[in-house]
Formats: sequence, structure tokens, C-alpha cells
Amino acid sequence: MKLEVKDLRKSFGEKEVLHGISFAVEAGSALGLLGRNGAGKTTTIRILMDVFHSDSGEISLDGRKFVPSKHKIGYLPEERGLYPKRTVIDQMVYLASLRGMSAREAKESAGKWLKRLEVEEYGNRKLETLSKGNQQKVQLAASLVNNPEIVILDEPFSGLDPVNSQILKDVVSELITEGRLVIFSSHQMSYVEEFCDNIAVINQGQVVLEGKLKNIKKDYGKNRLMLASENYSLDELAGRLEKEWTELVSVSGRKKEFLILELKAGVDKQAMVERLAKSDIVIEKYGNYEPSLNDIFVAKVGEEE
Amino acid sequence: MRKFSIVLKYELKEYFSNKAFMALTIVLALLGAALLFLPRFVDMSGFTGVKVVGGEDETEQVSQEHKDDFGYVDLAGVVREDVLQQVFPDGVWHRLESAEDLESAVQGGYKAGFLVTGATQYEYYVFNKAMTDNNMARFNQAMQLFYRMDYCAEKGLDLGELAAAYEVPINVTEQILNKDSSSNYWYCYVLVIIVFMLIVYYGQMIAVSVTNEKSNRAIEVLVTSTTSNSLLFGKVIAGAIGGLFQMGVTLGAILLAYQVNRGQWGGMLDMFLHIPAQVLLAFMFFGIGGYLFYAFLYGAMGALVSKTEDISKSVSGLMVIIMVVYFFSLLQLTNIDGTVIKVLSFLPFSSYSTMFARIAMGTVAPWEIIVSFLILVLSILGTGCLGAKIYRMGTLRYGNPIKLGTALKDLKKSR
Repeated sequence: MKLEVKDLRKSFGEKEVLHGISFAVEAGSALGLLGRNGAGKTTTIRILMDVFHSDSGEISLDGRKFVPSKHKIGYLPEERGLYPKRTVIDQMVYLASLRGMSAREAKESAGKWLKRLEVEEYGNRKLETLSKGNQQKVQLAASLVNNPEIVILDEPFSGLDPVNSQILKDVVSELITEGRLVIFSSHQMSYVEEFCDNIAVINQGQVVLEGKLKNIKKDYGKNRLMLASENYSLDELAGRLEKEWTELVSVSGRKKEFLILELKAGVDKQAMVERLAKSDIVIEKYGNYEPSLNDIFVAKVGEEE
Repeated sequence: MRKFSIVLKYELKEYFSNKAFMALTIVLALLGAALLFLPRFVDMSGFTGVKVVGGEDETEQVSQEHKDDFGYVDLAGVVREDVLQQVFPDGVWHRLESAEDLESAVQGGYKAGFLVTGATQYEYYVFNKAMTDNNMARFNQAMQLFYRMDYCAEKGLDLGELAAAYEVPINVTEQILNKDSSSNYWYCYVLVIIVFMLIVYYGQMIAVSVTNEKSNRAIEVLVTSTTSNSLLFGKVIAGAIGGLFQMGVTLGAILLAYQVNRGQWGGMLDMFLHIPAQVLLAFMFFGIGGYLFYAFLYGAMGALVSKTEDISKSVSGLMVIIMVVYFFSLLQLTNIDGTVIKVLSFLPFSSYSTMFARIAMGTVAPWEIIVSFLILVLSILGTGCLGAKIYRMGTLRYGNPIKLGTALKDLKKSR
């Protein structure tokens, strides 16, 4: 199962907010939609869910037009909300029934998901009597109650404490392992890094980076090295390299424990090793630099700004 | 259809599991019935004119125990107290000497006073004049009688003989071939008021229920789980059933209690509560139809706002239409076969009351009833679908209330 989004455009009034969003994701993998607040992630998701209509563009599933109502979809909207004055189990059974389950199946599934998310004891309580975190878990359980084949979660980790985040992480991992197609948006990079094979970074209504996370990281790490010395502080080391090693490298960044160096065009890593060996620098840390998703995001979105 | 029935069941559960709603239904029904059982336990003969003796159905007419004091000053020498006593059987008459005495007697508690200054003129004294005050009319009658008696005495005529010739009794046997408006008027009036109350009270509840889904942000989950048609139709029809249940139980209890106690009431509430079955049937079809028609409009209006406190703003236009139709319908009850009411009886905004009134009181052909009802049913479906579109369009449009005109323009644009 492959979901493809091609060239989505959307305007509100005179303002175009999506300028041709495209990405693809397959079953058994997760796509992370990344972007700053207001970048267009939620609008993209709402178009996917048919809450809004796009002005142009296509969404297809296995080559056919994607009609959300014809598929079992678990959707967690950014604007969380259920009925505060109804019992948890009542509304879960209601939503499962609306999404095509029989009353018996709905009850069983509601019980299963409440248990999985560790809120089963609140089944007969009114939603408004639960803590924010537990309401969030009930909302997630309600999204998954119909055992969906496609799971779309808009900022699922916002408002969760570390313990509940871990439960959610486990659930999302299980969904991916079970072969579901998962799309989720976040601006918390660590979660995206943990599950997503693919990412699409959206900035100001357009995809500025898209593809397999592994390849993106590799591309961003290409020709970049990390270096730390035992006998020079990072400042001293940076000063020296910028003064005396300009034909080989430039200092492109700095982390708490090492410098990030970028090899000049035509210089290979071997040349750098040889120069280091001949210098008085005592190496504490040296190797290929692998950027974090956060680095890539900041670099990419910063560039676009 | 399956999804509609799921929404309907869920929404109905909201009403029927709501303790306040059920308690109110029971209290209203019990209160209504209890009032109608009152004459069995309390002497209400002063009001009903029927006194229940020993708990049996034996009744007797009772006279007013309480009598009012009246005063008069006779400057013309024409007043006969025995005549006054006959014309005012519930009064005790006191002859006074001057206008000042009369005035202070009235200020001191007399029901009224009369200063007779001539054979055909007098002054009326009263402390607070009630809206229903008929003392002057009765005293006029007494004065005319004094005049006739004096005239007959002067001319040597027999007043009894003259009166018999002038006031000869006429025997009439009424043959009403179609409707009796004089007896149908009051229950028509009451039933129109009931539908009006149903529409305004329960319509508001439906609007609140729709707005709540926006304000608690459940709407996005719902519209991505089923169609907006299922949601709005389920919600509105559940609200309508809830309202009809509450009103039906209350009215049923009142009608039943009246049937049981009709004898004790001396039939005095027949004009409100002794409603023929065919009128009730017409009321059921047109009343429920009109109620549903407006309920969908209320649902749509509820979708235009995201805070319950903004509902009154959103439904104000609708309220104006409802009020105009309501007053117009009541005014036109006295001209039941007029052109205006005939036209109104085909419009879905007003047929719920006007066609029903025509059926109860006027002359109406069966085809007119069928056409009017079909127009109403089609309009209900139309407003339902339009309401569902507005509901869907209003999803996620939070903030300031959306004007109906803007909503309709946006709907047109999105097509």
C-alpha cells in the first residue's frame, strides 16, 4: 500500500498556504511531517482527511484516487476533543461504530485499546473527570479503536509526559511493525528520528526536504568531520584551523564536545588524516560527522528563511 | 442509513440518560395532571361552578358566599333597592346621604358607589377600576329598569306585559354542517402556542448541542468518521424526539387527567382540552413537520458559531421569522378562510400552524392538505441537507460567528 501526495495547493481567502506539497509513504513505514508552527503540516493532514479540500493536486493510494471514507483510518487531530460529559467507553464505542464496526466488535476493541494505553480503569468515567494526560491517551485510543490500516497523527506527543510518551512510542512502533501506514507530524525531532524511515520537511507551505532519513543524514554528513583535541580548547583549535588549515577545511559548526569541519573541494579525508598526524594536535575525537535530524532541520529551515 | 441510526441512538441516549431531562419530564407531567385532579380534593366551586359533595359526582350550584358592599346616593328619587338586589345578587346595598359619604365609603372598602343625579344620569365611584369591571353596565341595566317602571306607572301600562312582548324567547336548533369555529378556536390557539414553544425551546437546545461539538473540538473527529448528513440528521431528529417525548408525556398526562376529571371541572376546559381526534392528528403531522423544519434550521445556525453564548446572535433572524409567523397565525384565526391564511398554509415556514388551523376551523380540500404536507416534507429534507452542508462548512471555522449570507456564499463557491 503506497500513499502518494502530489502538488497539493491550498489557499485561504487570497493567501496561498500550501504551494505544491508532495511526498509518498508506504505501508509498514512511517513518514514524519516536520515543520515549524504554521508551516502547513496540519493543513496538509486535514486535506488528506478530507476536512478541507485542496485547490489542486492529487492524493492517491496504490495509484487510485484516495477517498478517506473508503478506508479504515485512525486520525488524531491537532485540535483534540471528544464529548467531555460522556463516559470514555461510550464515545469510543460510538466512534468505532461510526467507522464501521459492529457493536460487539466496537466494545471489544475499545476495551483492548484502553488497556493498551493503560487507561482501562477510566472506561466508565466521564472524560472531563480525567487528567489532561489521560484525556490525551483516551483520544489516541479513540483514534485507533477501529484498528486502522492508515494512521495519521497530528502532533501526537504534545502534552504528554515522558512516561506517557514512552507508551505512545511503543504503540506507534507496534503499528509500524504490524504493517500499518503511519504519518505523523511533529516538531519534536527526537520522536521522528526514532520511528520514521521517511521525512518531509515543510516550510512556509512547501516541502523543502523529502526522502529517506538515512540518505538525508548521509548527504548532510558528506565531507563533514568532527574533531576535538586534548591539548587545545575548541576555541583555540578553531582559531588555528581557520588560520593555518584553510586549504583543507573550514569550521562549519560547533557542538559542545567537538568542532564540525567541512572539507574543501577536492580534499579527501586521507589528506586530513595525514595533516593531523604531522601536526602537534593530540586527537581526542575524530571521525565522520553524522548530523542529527535537528541539525538538518535547523539548517534547512534556516536556509529557507 | 446505518450511520444515521448510530448517531440517532447515541444522541437519544444523551437525552434519555440525562437525569435532569427525565426529572423535568416527570415533574411537568405530574404537575399538569395534579392541577387537573385538584377539584376532586379541594373545593374549587367558586372557580368551576361545580361543588363535589361527599366525593360523589353529585353536584349543586352554589352561590357566592362572599358578598361585596355597594353604596348609592339617590338625589333623583328613582332608585329601588329590590331591583338593585336582583341585578347585583352578589352585592349588599347601602343607601348614603351625600357624595362625600359615598366617596369615603368607596375609599373605605366598598366595591363601588353610584351617585344618581337624575332619572337618566349618575356618577360612578370606584377606587381601582379592574379590567373586567362590569358594574356600570349592570347599573345601567338597573337605571333603565327604574325608568321603564316609572314610565309604565305614569302611563298606566303593565310593565310585565310589555317586557314579554319585547323579550319574546326564540328557540334555535343549530345545524353546523362543517366546523364550529367558536368551539375550535381556543384549542387551536393553545396548540399553535404549543408548537411555537416546541420550536423555540427545543430548537435552541438543538443549536446548543451542535455548537457544543465545535466548542469541545469533537467535530473534527466526527466529520472524519461519518458524513455530515448522518451527523446533523441524527442530532436534529434525536433532539426532535426528545422534545416530542417531553411535550407528549406532559400533554398526554394533562389530557388524560382532564378526561378523568371532566365532570369535576363542569366541562369548563373543553374549549382547551377536549380536542377531536382528527384535529390532534392534523396537529401531529403539521406540528411535527414544522418543528422538524425549524429544528434543522436551528441546527444549521448552531454550526455557524463556536461558542454557545453566540447562539442567540446566530438565531436572531430565525426567531424574527418564527415570531412573525406565530403572531400572524394567531391573528388570522379569526379570518380562517381568508386569502392570507390560505397562502400561508402552503408555505413551509407557516403551514405548521396555518394549515393545521384551517383543518380545525375552516374549509379545506383534501388536495390542499396533501400538497401543503408534501411541500413541508420536501422543505424539511431541503433544510436538512442545507443544514448539513452549513454544518460541514462551519467545521473548524472558529472565532467570530459566521453570517448566514457568508455561509451561503461560501457554499456556492465551494460547489
